[in-house]
Amino acid sequence: MVEKKENEFRKRDLFYLVPLWFISLIAPDPYLYHKKEFKKKDIFYLAAICLAPLIWSDSHFHHLMVLAGIYAILALGLSLFMGYAGQISLGHAAFFGIGAYTTAILTTRYAVPTFLAFWASALSAALIAHLIGRPILKLKGYFLALATLGFGEIFLVIVRESTNLTGGVIGIFGIPWFSVMGFSFDTYFKQYYLTWGVVMGLFIFSKNLVRSKVGRALLAVAASEDAASSVGINVSKTKLEIFVLGAVFAGWAGSLFACIMSTASPEAFSLGFTILVVMMVILGGMGNLYGPIGGAILLTWLMDILSKYQEFSLPIYSVILILFLIFFPDGIGTRLNVRVIYLIGYWAKKKKRDEGKL
Amino acid sequence: MSLLSIEKITKEYDGIKALDRVSLKVEKGRIKGLIGPNGAGKSTLFHLISGVEKPDSGKIYFKEKNITSLESHERSALGIGRTFQTLQIWGNMTVVENIMAGMDRRLGGGFFSYGLWLPWIRRSEKEALKEAKEILDSLGLLGKWESMASQLPYGKQKLLEIGRALAMKPELLLLDEPASGLTLTEIDQLSEKISRTRQEGVTVFMVEHHMGMVMEIADEIGVLHNGKLIAEGTPATVKKNPRVIDAYLTRRNRKPDA
Repeated sequence: MVEKKENEFRKRDLFYLVPLWFISLIAPDPYLYHKKEFKKKDIFYLAAICLAPLIWSDSHFHHLMVLAGIYAILALGLSLFMGYAGQISLGHAAFFGIGAYTTAILTTRYAVPTFLAFWASALSAALIAHLIGRPILKLKGYFLALATLGFGEIFLVIVRESTNLTGGVIGIFGIPWFSVMGFSFDTYFKQYYLTWGVVMGLFIFSKNLVRSKVGRALLAVAASEDAASSVGINVSKTKLEIFVLGAVFAGWAGSLFACIMSTASPEAFSLGFTILVVMMVILGGMGNLYGPIGGAILLTWLMDILSKYQEFSLPIYSVILILFLIFFPDGIGTRLNVRVIYLIGYWAKKKKRDEGKL
Repeated sequence: MSLLSIEKITKEYDGIKALDRVSLKVEKGRIKGLIGPNGAGKSTLFHLISGVEKPDSGKIYFKEKNITSLESHERSALGIGRTFQTLQIWGNMTVVENIMAGMDRRLGGGFFSYGLWLPWIRRSEKEALKEAKEILDSLGLLGKWESMASQLPYGKQKLLEIGRALAMKPELLLLDEPASGLTLTEIDQLSEKISRTRQEGVTVFMVEHHMGMVMEIADEIGVLHNGKLIAEGTPATVKKNPRVIDAYLTRRNRKPDA
């Protein structure tokens, strides 16, 4: 048997080197905590998102991606609040609902243009978040989770019971398409660019926050509130601001959702939906901004694929989530490279290991 | 005129007086040490000064201003920086970001100007980065500026915490046991850093158990025992004070002779 030299190239190394090289081209860098500046890769992502609907000109794909984009906006806001400021919110769907209902009521009852309703949704979500946030954000951990959960449920009850305003359980129908200055977003293709345009704008905004003073204050609050206030960071104000910002994102998402689905009904904003969004943030990776967007796309597709299997969809769905959490414990966005190196390397070196050479 | 003056401050925990009508002054531009046996109330006093806790009675003046009712972050904004007895650096950020976060109160601008990345924000962030690197350089941590703060060894983390407090350009720096857990060489570095800080015009008020260090660098020392200030003066006089010797050599809960 011929002894092999160290570091000798073997053909089977290509088995994992090629995929790794490919992944390193497109995947976000590992340890995103360090890398907060914009990168060349961001242009690649931007191009991918711009070109995707042109390559796959399938309206089902467009519709899915529109939904994914809306969820991505929500998840982005929540990720600032959860991943960066280290707080928990289980009432985020309520702000989504507030946005959707504001748009629905304004456009159907008062014939307000959708573009104005879009801003009004953000405003109303922000106002309510401000009112709720002041008392609630004094709480920490589980208590905060429970309080926000309670807020979400209260919102649902109010929506179901105030039939005159919100249409009760049935909801509101016939919300017009989103339109700006007479240009109506009436196909899935146009809506795709609308939602992903909003996602891009908010992503850049969030990224700017994260890489500057605001992001540092958020991380400081998450790590140690005492230390944060010892250098003059106003902890309660920082938390409130980011909570309101998350609500504004959710309000916009809700407004787009209402325009695109042309309905607003209470079951869309239930606890299950909140958990879905939280799942997107966790699965995507806390503490980076690519994660929630990736998580939103992944979960939207997963739900769509699984919907073929009817009654088995939920169990399969949960098993897949559990597997993801096992193999990507800190989210797929955070260190995809590292995890994939591990996974591929595991199989590539299996034979060696079995022979006891490693 | 003294920079910080504490007047008859009292703090009780469940009926036990942690501090009993303590009055103390810290003069501008000096290093003041505070020593005392365990449980003497030193850390409580620090918490009261930095606003983590509120006193039951008494008043605290900083630069002739009554700060007794101010929140912790408002006091920091006035120029009181501090470090903690149990290390509190932000492990989720890089070393340089820890320092830059320390500059928080000096960087202006609201939420939206940062989100929109206005031109002057870009400039101020750049300057902040440059200044943070200078601070790291003076601490000897520049080589690790991009690594996560949690990956630094303990001694360096302690230095980083002091650097963070200095980054906010405080007038008064409260150091809560800066030398605890450090090696002898690190303590030497630390005392050199503290003396240099004083030369830059920062008043230092420190709690310390390491007698050698505090006797060497402090201009003035206060001794707390069972919540009361039992001695105050230069290190030499404090060392000879019979009450201080008594406090350190006898048991705290000594029963009165029957």
